[in-house]
Amino acid sequence: MALGTATEVDSQFDLKADRPWVCIVWDDPVNLMTYVTYVFMVLFGYSKEKATELMLKVHNEGRAQVSSGTREEMERDVQRLHEYGLWATLQRDNEY
Amino acid sequence: MSSFKREENGDISIEISTQESQVLISLSEQLLELLSQGDSHAEASDPLSHLVGISDSDELPEDPVLRRLFPDAYQDSASSSEFRRYTEYGLREKKKAHARIIYQALTSQGEIDEITPGQIPIDKSSFKLIIGNAEILDWLSGLNDLRLALAVRLGIGGGGKESADIDTKAIHNKYEVMIESDPMKAVYAVYSWIGWLQQGLLEEITPN
Repeated sequence: MALGTATEVDSQFDLKADRPWVCIVWDDPVNLMTYVTYVFMVLFGYSKEKATELMLKVHNEGRAQVSSGTREEMERDVQRLHEYGLWATLQRDNEY
Repeated sequence: MSSFKREENGDISIEISTQESQVLISLSEQLLELLSQGDSHAEASDPLSHLVGISDSDELPEDPVLRRLFPDAYQDSASSSEFRRYTEYGLREKKKAHARIIYQALTSQGEIDEITPGQIPIDKSSFKLIIGNAEILDWLSGLNDLRLALAVRLGIGGGGKESADIDTKAIHNKYEVMIESDPMKAVYAVYSWIGWLQQGLLEEITPN
């Protein structure tokens, strides 16, 4: 089996569909905790409990993964989070 | 200043003084100006690219406030530049729309003081500001952008990952002990006040 070749193709053409992309929100002392929670509820349709949990993770740990999916989906999430003034980035799941 | 009230039709109202209104008008005007100044930077020279929201430039904005409002989307700069090229123009337009909603609501609803020559304009008057139900999120986001812009001047946070863990209480204490004549103390007072407005608005719309 040409395992080496397969790995090379993967890294070259970015075909690892099983490795999703994730959207990360970073802590910013400017953004009010209630505001961050509200934005998570509105943009992602999360319950108040889930949104609060994620907000607290951002606040206490400095960052939290808020969504996952394809690269395009995560770019859209980052864009919407930037629109509402949250500090967000995207990356491959395994880099987090 | 009173607090926010929910009207029967779902709109939110607040009694706001003309002076407070002027502060928000001036800040949103400045933000609009800053976001528009960058247009030559963000707009594409090719009309078709412009139409679909692609800009020529993919560099991080030079202005620190713009850098704060449009942070990098990726850890690596090549992907960030690509992302910026396709999204920054559209994002700018959205942020401009938010600031414009605040500006227009205040300028259209506020009572304009009649300035008689030789007389000091009265700034004690207040008016009932209505925030349309459909515009609440725009207001929250617009107020947040104003706070982010002021935070850059105040040195709070700052877009670098290493500066994200600045302690809010320490910041507050720093400005609390500052002498009254320091202009930064007034900037911090405005920053705090806008935070109070944002918080009040959120409390009114978020069900417990």
